[in-house]
Amino acid sequence: MVNKMRESIIMKIHYGTALAAVALVAVHILMRLTQNFAESLEYSSVIANYQFLPYAGMLEIILILLSIHGFNGLRVILLELKQGRAYEKAVSYGCVAAMVGLIAYGSRTIIMVNMGMV
Amino acid sequence: MKPIDENKEGIGGMINPRRYGIERVAYLFMRLSGLGLLAYFIGHIYETSSILRGEVGWNEFLEITQTNEGHALLAIVIAMCVFHTVNGIRVMLGEGGVGVGKPARPDYPYIPASQNAKHKIGIYSAIVLAAIATMYGLAVMYGE
Repeated sequence: MVNKMRESIIMKIHYGTALAAVALVAVHILMRLTQNFAESLEYSSVIANYQFLPYAGMLEIILILLSIHGFNGLRVILLELKQGRAYEKAVSYGCVAAMVGLIAYGSRTIIMVNMGMV
Repeated sequence: MKPIDENKEGIGGMINPRRYGIERVAYLFMRLSGLGLLAYFIGHIYETSSILRGEVGWNEFLEITQTNEGHALLAIVIAMCVFHTVNGIRVMLGEGGVGVGKPARPDYPYIPASQNAKHKIGIYSAIVLAAIATMYGLAVMYGE
């Protein structure tokens, strides 16, 4: 499925995820500036951030958007370097696997802290 | 059979910024900053997962990042992030046909219409904005 998707569609997804991520990451960074930078990174402050459901939801969306954008970017760079049927397939599936793995790992942190499992 | 030189330069050709002017430098920086940001993003996901080890685990990891080296790394990340964003928007606009000029007959010295002042200003703006954001980020991190 990964190899069958048209490159023009993939690039539209790449640009769409980029624009959405820019807006949401700006909110994420501004949250650090609502108080002193060091204070905003204190344990209690970070826990409060995670347990505020809309913010946790936003973190999850950022995680998905940046994982898609980042690993597709890596795929594009690797495909620029070398081409070939087996190589392109390996790169595409490898990037999708890494993307899914990172989303799963990051989601685990968000969900567990949001549900008070720490 | 004699090997055929297919003019494939590989990574060496990709990272050579000396040809084709500032556009080539922007191309190189775009890829380097993209790879750097992906590495930081993976590290950031791993770093934030230390909160699952409770307050002690979180503070232990935070201590590593709250050093001069940690701040320097974050300053580089800010620079890469701003450059990648601004230059990315320029590339998106260019691919959408914005600011690339009208098609015309190629005449000597064959300068592509797309490599015009608008896009060069876009690239230089990305570099300047990255520098300003880095300075601001350092001021915030050092609490000034």
